[in-house]
Amino acid sequence: MLFNSLHFIVFLPIVVALYYLLAQKYRWILIFVASCYFYMAFVPKYILILFFIILVDYFSAIAIESAQKKQKRFWLILSLVSNVLLLGFFKYFNFFSENLETVFSLFGKQFNPINLEIILPIGLSFHTFQSMSYTIEVYKGKQKAEKHLGYFANYVLFFPQMVAGPIERYENLGNELKTPHKPVYENFSNGFRLILFGLFVKMAIADNLAPYVNQVYEAPFKYNSVEVLTAVLFFSFQIYADFYGYSTIAVGCAKMLGITIMDNFKTPYLSKSVSEFWSRWHISLSTWFRDYLYIPLGGNRVTLPNWSINILIVFMVSGLWHGASWTFVAWGALHGAMLLLERYFSRIFNFKIKEKWSFLNVLLVIKTFIITNFIWIFFRAKDFANAKDVIKSMLYNWQIPQANLDFRLPAIGVFVVLLSDIFIYNSRIDTRLSTMKPYYRWSIYTLLLFGLLALSGTQKLAFIYFQF
Amino acid sequence: MIKKICIRLLLVLFIIGGLNAVYNFTLYDSLILEKYPEKFRILKTQDSAEVFYFGESSNVTYSETDSIKNSISEMTNFFFPTLKIQTITKYATHAGIYKYWLKEFDLNKQKPKAIIVTLNLRSFDAGWIHSKLETQLQESMVLTKSYPTIINRFLLSLQAFDNKTEQERELDMLNDWKNTELIFPQEFKYKTVAQWDRAMAAGGYLKTDGSWDMAKINLACHFIKSYAFNLNESNPRIKDFDEISQWCDENKINLYLNLMAENYQFADSLVGKELVFLMRQNRDFLVKRYSNSNCKVVDNLESVDGKEFIDIEWTTEHYRYKGRMRIAKNLANSLKDQFKNAYKEVY
Repeated sequence: MLFNSLHFIVFLPIVVALYYLLAQKYRWILIFVASCYFYMAFVPKYILILFFIILVDYFSAIAIESAQKKQKRFWLILSLVSNVLLLGFFKYFNFFSENLETVFSLFGKQFNPINLEIILPIGLSFHTFQSMSYTIEVYKGKQKAEKHLGYFANYVLFFPQMVAGPIERYENLGNELKTPHKPVYENFSNGFRLILFGLFVKMAIADNLAPYVNQVYEAPFKYNSVEVLTAVLFFSFQIYADFYGYSTIAVGCAKMLGITIMDNFKTPYLSKSVSEFWSRWHISLSTWFRDYLYIPLGGNRVTLPNWSINILIVFMVSGLWHGASWTFVAWGALHGAMLLLERYFSRIFNFKIKEKWSFLNVLLVIKTFIITNFIWIFFRAKDFANAKDVIKSMLYNWQIPQANLDFRLPAIGVFVVLLSDIFIYNSRIDTRLSTMKPYYRWSIYTLLLFGLLALSGTQKLAFIYFQF
Repeated sequence: MIKKICIRLLLVLFIIGGLNAVYNFTLYDSLILEKYPEKFRILKTQDSAEVFYFGESSNVTYSETDSIKNSISEMTNFFFPTLKIQTITKYATHAGIYKYWLKEFDLNKQKPKAIIVTLNLRSFDAGWIHSKLETQLQESMVLTKSYPTIINRFLLSLQAFDNKTEQERELDMLNDWKNTELIFPQEFKYKTVAQWDRAMAAGGYLKTDGSWDMAKINLACHFIKSYAFNLNESNPRIKDFDEISQWCDENKINLYLNLMAENYQFADSLVGKELVFLMRQNRDFLVKRYSNSNCKVVDNLESVDGKEFIDIEWTTEHYRYKGRMRIAKNLANSLKDQFKNAYKEVY
């Protein structure tokens, strides 16, 4: 089920109402049923994959907790391998098979790639990562194994964040799901604010940017450099508005149930460096990779060359997590490389970014935005040839007559995103709104409602991150 | 808390009401012009036109060799020079859409004296009912809902209409062909469209060298899929035409259902008499069902000669000049009773 569907607009109030009508001991059943229903609106049979993940990790965690040291490791490996194999089969099998063909051909051998004609289960990378974090934490002894299968199932299935995150930790979401929540007015009003703002950002901004971007990326050589540059700029905001919108709705829906889940974004395009960008963009994934890959690789307690290699590994794996394509790996690698460059630069020149805003900081924000904006090309392009076409067209198509693509509404959307980011810098939309005078707050609601109802995109577009 | 929430919900509803007024004043027209221009055409011409012609691509010609390019509705208008016939057409449209167009008439203004609605036999087949073009047609229909216009606009963004994917529609179509039983007065070896189609596809036509004549096979299969069905009340298009007929009856507007010609000669020679039997049986069903004091069915099914079809390698109802003229003349003959004084013999 999509958040931006009539189906969901009917579904959510029913679930919220039933949730507060039920006694706490039955609420897990409601969340479980609602989450299954939510997920089964996509491809029903894929719920079985989720059940498999739940069962494997539930029993593994109990086994880890009660086992001796060596056996603990065995159960952890069993859990991790099951998750990774599942993810690998559905997401990377075809990619692996195609690449094997290339490797064989390098040695003059023939290999016929096997192409599994399967649809990737929606949000699989999110569930597996969330579930894996739980068994790892139990293994580390930082988390107690959950004995109640229903609560654990809800941790993996919780409908607001099950298909595109934020990737939660059991320490937070597991406990939130168990805590009895009373209906509190502030939760409803904040939930409403977040859902309204999230829907606005997704439907009125991201969905209006998408047609322009899609058209240009489809055949960049047909468009003038200005239009290609605009499309590249627009994509940076499309992906942000799309994913930020989704995450904000997710946080808002959970809030309606009294459950607090983590924020996934903190005005990333106002970052002064690439490393700061990654502390503000898709925070739940960045922290996952930090805790479960970067630190186990040695973190920053290794030599500079090793650290550099580790950074590149983490970012390339993060790229591959997004999609089974070398363009995603390149996207990750470029981010890693830029982060290394920044670190080397600051070491050599002993340069430190000051927290206090200054003209230099504004320039740094612009610099960081230009870098991330350029790197997004590899994320959006369907392959390297497409990325090359976009870059070439951006640089050399000045003579081609403009196709007069309508940029007005998308450009307003970009402006609104920037404005709202400045407005909520280091805070959150619901928090900022709650501190405003009612007159101003309701004026903003009115504008958001008008944008949402009257200006939302009219094409059928799912959230971009659903495919991951 | 409940009181507080209710007050705020009321306030939100009040704001939406205000926004709806702003929306109507600012952006509504441009959306309608883009997504549903038929509404404007009806409203703008309602006062000046006496007769409305609703149709799809069968009304016009695509033939470059046609010396006369006039559409069927224009040719019909030649017979009634003093009558203003307004044409509203849209590619791949059908009764499921025409019925919404009717509701756009402002009945407080001058009512049309007659409405001509294209009755295309193929529009009752599973291929057209589950056509991939349907999503686009349904998209604009969300704007006709009786909610405030800004809510309809939001429903459009939410894709709250029959927006099945192409694959889903194709599956529905295949299921229909597979599961709907064909009824003949005597025993016929194929029970369903799928069986008949499969048999034809498996070498129904051979070339002189013994190989399969794929061009002929494909066309024959297409004819089977287009015309092999038994019309009955459960067909969704019948329900749509029932609504159209009922609306015209209630509003005392004469309705002319212009049953388009099909290439029955080709159907006969290519597939066989069983297919022509079904075509005729379905025609008879339509004529019987919709002929009453308020409604006439103009039966053109067999009135156009095979060579007057533009697409002789397909089943589409696109006619050359003579074919269009034949249909226009038949239609004019039916309209003559109502508009005696305006009639003039031109051909």
